Amino acid sequence: MALQRLSFRLRQTVTHVRSLHTSGCGQQQAAEAVESEPEPLSVFRTRENDPACHSEQHMGQYYTLPSTHIRTLFPHGLPGRYQQQLKTFNEACMMVRKPSLEVISYLKKTDFSKPSLRYLFYGLNGTGKTMSLCHTVHYCYTQGWLVLHVPDAHIWMKNCKELMPSSYNDTRFDQPLQASEWLRNFRITNEPFLSKIKTKQRYVWTKRESTEEGSLLGQLVDQGISRVKSSSDVVGAVLKELRLQSGQPESDFRMAVAVDGVNGLWGRSTIKKKDKSPVESDELTLVYNLKKLLTKDWTGGAIITTLSQTGSLYTSKFDYLPQELLGEKGFDGMDPFLPVSVPNYSEKEFESCYLYWMDRQWLQHPQSRTEEGKKEIIFLCNRNPSMMDRICASL
Amino acid sequence: MAASISGLLKPWTPRVFLVRWSRYNPYYLEPEVRKEAYIKPEAELSAEEKEQRELKALRPIKAATNDVTSSVFSDPVISKFVGMMMLEGNKILANEIISKTLENIKRKQVDKYHKAPEGKKEEIECNPYAIFHQALENCKPVVGLASIQKGGKFYQVPIPLSDDRRRHLAMKWIITECRESKHRRTLMYEKLSQELLAASVREGNVIKKKLEMHKMAEANRAYAHYRWA
Repeated sequence: MALQRLSFRLRQTVTHVRSLHTSGCGQQQAAEAVESEPEPLSVFRTRENDPACHSEQHMGQYYTLPSTHIRTLFPHGLPGRYQQQLKTFNEACMMVRKPSLEVISYLKKTDFSKPSLRYLFYGLNGTGKTMSLCHTVHYCYTQGWLVLHVPDAHIWMKNCKELMPSSYNDTRFDQPLQASEWLRNFRITNEPFLSKIKTKQRYVWTKRESTEEGSLLGQLVDQGISRVKSSSDVVGAVLKELRLQSGQPESDFRMAVAVDGVNGLWGRSTIKKKDKSPVESDELTLVYNLKKLLTKDWTGGAIITTLSQTGSLYTSKFDYLPQELLGEKGFDGMDPFLPVSVPNYSEKEFESCYLYWMDRQWLQHPQSRTEEGKKEIIFLCNRNPSMMDRICASL
Repeated sequence: MAASISGLLKPWTPRVFLVRWSRYNPYYLEPEVRKEAYIKPEAELSAEEKEQRELKALRPIKAATNDVTSSVFSDPVISKFVGMMMLEGNKILANEIISKTLENIKRKQVDKYHKAPEGKKEEIECNPYAIFHQALENCKPVVGLASIQKGGKFYQVPIPLSDDRRRHLAMKWIITECRESKHRRTLMYEKLSQELLAASVREGNVIKKKLEMHKMAEANRAYAHYRWA
């Protein structure tokens, strides 16, 4: 009887074909309903490690990401301090917060025959936009989607050590180092898809090298990694293939495009040409091809992005709203999109973070464990996640 | 001496207030920064404390320096260390280095803690402040050497050291050691954290230096009476 009720609930929530994971979660729920409700591990931890099953009752609690997922899904993409924390605590725990829950609930209800929607996380510096993006990307990965994660669009716009004129188009410039690194990480994340998707077009790289029509995507990616000179064009080819093929009736994969620091794509660049004039964003192959992917003319997936002021160039420190950081061109390019605000920690989330650090032996100063110390920490960091991390690091 | 002079002076408030200089008239009182001193209700005060409070109402008080705070996390020993590490007045940089050092120590120890088996967990000290204080204690020399002239020659004579002098010597040795003998590319906070962790278990170059000082003092025991030359 409980199973019948649950299958009815499942029919309402699941809209896409691959329902293995959600049905697994549903069976778990069924099992739990039949037995007694298992107690949560503690106030700040939850046993529910599947992002698809996170709901409002898990808000503010930490769930553990399995280390296999971290190695495949996040070779790049996690913030630097968080990666240090992973090594120190020997486990990867992320907090379930409202913005990512909201986007995950929208993703569950998407209609994949319509053009893909754009979600934008925005907020003050250090409120957890990148972490919300990583949570959503983890959900997409557990649902079996293809994940195209660009960890920081700003690194394609600054500090370029090698800038080559593009072989495909004379007016554009290549960045072989960044492109080959991205391809390597893309291969680590999406191993299973590389042997399934086939190219629909013939690509000629040099007089002797070409990739035939119908060859596997994996071959294309390997070509880009081994021949670093043509890696930017390979990236362009990969993005084009995926855009054309996703949403087609014969392809059975969903694509999640995750871009962190998307305001960099329309911003100014510090890269200079040989005659000291600055390079426009449209003159870089990588950026040009990525912008084509951010338009709304493909179906069968979603685009999840974040704004970032910390790595951005020529923006004021106090800008954080989409209008200010994206600028006119960016806003027109991203419009229409769904903005999701990421605020500072609420009181419950702060408590949860504080208790988690106490549990992991991170708050060592004897005074930091008292009420006075806690009040002082709240006063100093105003519940901003990154400030709290920096202050409590030396306590 | 300051008390006798202040006894002679009549009660007065100056027309010009001294704020930037550290040499005050002995009439001025030290500022009380700790919150606990002001929270105590009237009934709990002893006679001396009541006298102090009345005095505070009449006498001028020195301006508090920038590094004393009413924060519960402030530590006078760490402030002293930061002041000693500071170069060219850049206290912000010195403070950052120290906080990175403490974070580094904590990270290494917590890493060890989480990877240790259940039985060994209690033995690992994770508190960076405890490690810092322990390391400082272990580096403090017991006797020092003074250069005393007798009969035209200078002799290294072992003498007892005051507490402040011992602490100063320990801090100075740690800082010089970390500045000089390290790989060109090692950052200060990394080297400091290594030295402090080693010193807290009585290993490392600073402990060696302290032991050498003790050995010299032991070797020159014969000249100890030159102190009263």
